[in-house]
Amino acid sequence: MSNRNDDKVKHDHPHDEISHNASLGYYEIMETAVRELLIERQLIGPGEIRRQIEVLDSRNPALGAKVVAHAWLHPDFKARLLKNGRSGCEELGISFYDDTQLIVLENTPKVHNLIVCTLCSCYPRPVLGLPPDWYKLKPFRARAIYEPRAVLAEFGTIIPDDVEIRVSDSTAVIRYLVLPMRPAGTEKFTEEQLASLVTRDSMIGVIPANNPSETSPK
Amino acid sequence: MSQTEDLMKRLPNDIGGFPADPVVQVEHELEPWEKRCHALADVLDFHKIINTEEKRRGVEALGSEMIGKLTYYERWIAAFANILFQKGILTPSDLAVKMDEVRSRERPNTESKNA
Amino acid sequence: MDRSSPASATFIQGVVPAAGELPVFSPGDSVRVLERSPVGHYRVPIYLRGKVGTVEAVMQPAAVNNEDEGYGHNAGSKLHYYRIAIPMTQVWPDYAGSPSDGIRIEVYETWLEGV
Repeated sequence: MSNRNDDKVKHDHPHDEISHNASLGYYEIMETAVRELLIERQLIGPGEIRRQIEVLDSRNPALGAKVVAHAWLHPDFKARLLKNGRSGCEELGISFYDDTQLIVLENTPKVHNLIVCTLCSCYPRPVLGLPPDWYKLKPFRARAIYEPRAVLAEFGTIIPDDVEIRVSDSTAVIRYLVLPMRPAGTEKFTEEQLASLVTRDSMIGVIPANNPSETSPK
Repeated sequence: MSQTEDLMKRLPNDIGGFPADPVVQVEHELEPWEKRCHALADVLDFHKIINTEEKRRGVEALGSEMIGKLTYYERWIAAFANILFQKGILTPSDLAVKMDEVRSRERPNTESKNA
Repeated sequence: MDRSSPASATFIQGVVPAAGELPVFSPGDSVRVLERSPVGHYRVPIYLRGKVGTVEAVMQPAAVNNEDEGYGHNAGSKLHYYRIAIPMTQVWPDYAGSPSDGIRIEVYETWLEGV
């Protein structure tokens, strides 16, 4: 397995778009060349990439946290969300910029959900942003589907044997979002306070939502 | 006799169920070119110039060695180049000439250094 | 879960649905994933081949086969995907967790047969 992504973790400053000090990498040159050729040939518009970067930058786990918190507070919204995840998100102004559908998977005291894409890296990007590297790398993709309990334990999450684990493997047009259980002691929390407890990793299903006493999430 | 059948029958990305290392929670902030590459994928899919599934197939078609050695977005841009060639949208020469041009743009000081 | 599948709707007598228009399986049906080994792009992982599960839901609306989409087929010939529930113990003979643990996965109609 490649160590390239470990190198990327140590990389502590972004490259400028055109760097005058270091050479552009081979693949960055390829990306630049492909993009410019497609624009020159008018197959894509000159502003489309820039606009899509803005779209991507606007998608992050705070959106998913808002969906979860709203569902915790509004049972009727939660029912609609569980019936159709995409339209539930759209109700809250979270547009889906692609053709994917969303199924929201509710964790309960009896059922714990975990999401994975064993074949590639399918992930609910419109509502969570881009996935972390570990989600896309072999250890998680290979093992979550056959030893979910061991994988969860590596995240510090122990699921009792009397709780059913459901691992959803995204392979087609459906994406998944886990609705973690609402932590105890949050009865008087506002929606914003509830949202601050909901981490990206809790919506993947590797950890529960934070308890009120825990510090800032990932 | 049929030793290579397994290579044909199992795609290199079909790894569900394989033994693997413990999960190391690595993540990284995307470099600007990686983000541009992701945006390019979305724009290509929107126009159905290269749809998302074609991209996946294109990455698979790189083969195990390249999949193992290229990073995530490097695989995407390599796949895009191949698919654009296959579709007759670009030729390898088109891309090579443009890549040389991009490369020469970013080193305007080279000549003056040698003067 | 989508419960508005046409299979459960009431049709006026004499209305004939088009081929492929209605899902062939309904929630609760027992289905087996076929065991074929396609050359080229596929989206049904090998761990699933030959396994028996239960249809949990019909995905609506009918959609393009993503395996064909990988070769540029962007529209037409739509059939249904089905969300299948399969016990872990069905898929992994040595499964170490709870016997009630399971997998959920979308599978295209062309990969399934009724049991």
